[in-house]
Amino acid sequence: MPETNVIPEPSLAAPAALAGSGKALSVRRLRKTYAGVTAVDEVSMEIAAGEFVTFLGSSGSGKTTTLMMIAGFCEPDSGSIVVGGNDVTRLAPQKRGLGFVFQQYLLFPHMTVWENVAFPLQLRGVPKAEQRRRVGETLEMAGLSKMARRRPRELSGGQQQRVALCRALVYRPPVILMDEPLGALDKKLRDQLQTEIKRIQQELGLTVIYVTHDQEEALVLSDRIAVMRDGRIDQFDTPQELFERPRTPFVADFLGAANFLPGRVEEQSADHTLVRLDTGGLLKARPQVAPDGARVRAGVQPGRLFLCPAGDGFCTGTVETVTYVGTLVRVTVRPAGGTATDLVRLELPAGRAPALGERVDLAADPANVSVFADAEDGG
Amino acid sequence: MAVLAPAPVSTAPVPGKKRLSRALSERRTRFGLLNAAPVVVYLLVLFVYPIFSTLMLSLKGDDGAFTLHWYADAFKGANLEILLTTLRISAETSLLSLVVGFVLAAAVSRLKPLWAGLVMVVVVVPHFISALVRTYGWIILLGEHGVVNNALTGLHFPGAPFQLLYNEVGVVIGTTSVMLPYTVLLLYAVMKGIDRRLMAAAASMGAGRLTIFRRVYVPLVAPGLVNAGILCFILCLGYYITPALMGGPKQTMVASLIDTQVMKQDQWNGASALGIILLLLTFAGLLLLKLLQSAGERYRNRGTAP
Repeated sequence: MPETNVIPEPSLAAPAALAGSGKALSVRRLRKTYAGVTAVDEVSMEIAAGEFVTFLGSSGSGKTTTLMMIAGFCEPDSGSIVVGGNDVTRLAPQKRGLGFVFQQYLLFPHMTVWENVAFPLQLRGVPKAEQRRRVGETLEMAGLSKMARRRPRELSGGQQQRVALCRALVYRPPVILMDEPLGALDKKLRDQLQTEIKRIQQELGLTVIYVTHDQEEALVLSDRIAVMRDGRIDQFDTPQELFERPRTPFVADFLGAANFLPGRVEEQSADHTLVRLDTGGLLKARPQVAPDGARVRAGVQPGRLFLCPAGDGFCTGTVETVTYVGTLVRVTVRPAGGTATDLVRLELPAGRAPALGERVDLAADPANVSVFADAEDGG
Repeated sequence: MAVLAPAPVSTAPVPGKKRLSRALSERRTRFGLLNAAPVVVYLLVLFVYPIFSTLMLSLKGDDGAFTLHWYADAFKGANLEILLTTLRISAETSLLSLVVGFVLAAAVSRLKPLWAGLVMVVVVVPHFISALVRTYGWIILLGEHGVVNNALTGLHFPGAPFQLLYNEVGVVIGTTSVMLPYTVLLLYAVMKGIDRRLMAAAASMGAGRLTIFRRVYVPLVAPGLVNAGILCFILCLGYYITPALMGGPKQTMVASLIDTQVMKQDQWNGASALGIILLLLTFAGLLLLKLLQSAGERYRNRGTAP
């Protein structure tokens, strides 16, 4: 059987050309239920060519299911997937022309590194000389030239995942999907490979969709992050937006382990919202449409709180714990009159740590405080 | 089942004598030798000694002097034909068992564990019954007025009834059914060990079903195919009951010849020579297995890299 030309073969320059033309992939109202349980619920998104997008969420959030539907490994109940202008929703995985990097590498054990990377090119009937050039270039870029004749089992986990990455990008698919590719590696290697993946993605202008449950990884790698929960996208934004202007308490908690301080809206203006906290203090937050007197929670990241002179802050309390974590100190403060559930967490530079039991006053920049209606869950 | 034992991994090349003395100086090795001693004695008494005496017997002439006469006899005329028939039927049986075993094992390895277990029981349990009974079962099924031929004649199948017994077809059908559990079990174990997600990976980069089968699945099953094929071949070489009962005069195999020589002609020396030849053929089979394995290894190690 001829193995050639099953898949349209984009030229080497394709990703760069596409980068100008905008959309590489759009997902519209994707839905998937398993035995009555909704795994993915009306997920829609547009991804531009050359963009690095991460699906971030805990297990069961629907991130992997969404990725599998894009790859074609599972079929959506409804909705559509469009890659480069073609509707691929009902196509088999091998007809979609995408790239996929698995958490378990899944290199072919009976082939050498070179053969593994050449395999997708052989499927496309790329001429021998061209194969040699492209496989050589790709391995060179990943620093694997010396490993070309080895078997996958003779390589370390990190090297195997690099080969898998090469194998997925050597044929220049319009979109590369990655399912927790660094999940099986240790921390140090993970950091190193993150940098490498980001470098290669930027060098080649690759469009990548990446799935992870590690928020730090998502922040390091992504142009945009889709924070997923219960099969829905809570917020799809740049890391900075997500971090500084979380739209839901869940996002605030998932990305920054935010403090949520309960209170009531006391006053609103064009440039701020004033919240009277249950512990007594008055906290100035970003403007947020909420009726006066409404029950709210003010969300603020531990790293965005600081100590201030007595009387200037929104909260006075005693230091309960001080934990050194390298350059930072994690401090918990119990507000005056508060209980163990009212503890406020903050992160300070190591030099500025208060002593245990010390009375401190806390303040925050209003720009860093978000107000969430109390009904919203999460956090 | 020495065939299945993995080849010992040769570590760094150390000169023979040094390696031996070093190995002996290790407590673990000495302890291991002590543990192995009873089995070694058992094998020496009940395996090596009989084989050795068989060998001596096969080299002894009627007058008691050394001779290669019995071997020359084995490779002459009718005896040579029987040897070649044995090889041919063994090869045919192995091939058929491999094909049927592959299809069956591939199907079973895709079933849910419960169903897979059930099918394996169906494959294996008949072999708890004696080969003699099973062979008579086949004779009932395949006879001129047996179940199969009656059904085919009833359906007005062109050419029916067929001669399915007392010829090579009958022998191969019978022996294959005996060998099938070995190939199925061996191949099933190999196929179970294959990560099915590798196929998904191949599909994700654009490979169609046939390509995945040819380029990924078969190469991964290949070591199992070689093992199962050789095992089947070796078991067939010395197989007796089924060929004797289901074959015609043209399907006489070495085991039957040995039987005739011992039981009917009281010709122990000639029978010993045939036994030794079978043993050597078995060794040749094992050697072939080794060669195929290392050839496969070399083939896989050839880098296409410049």
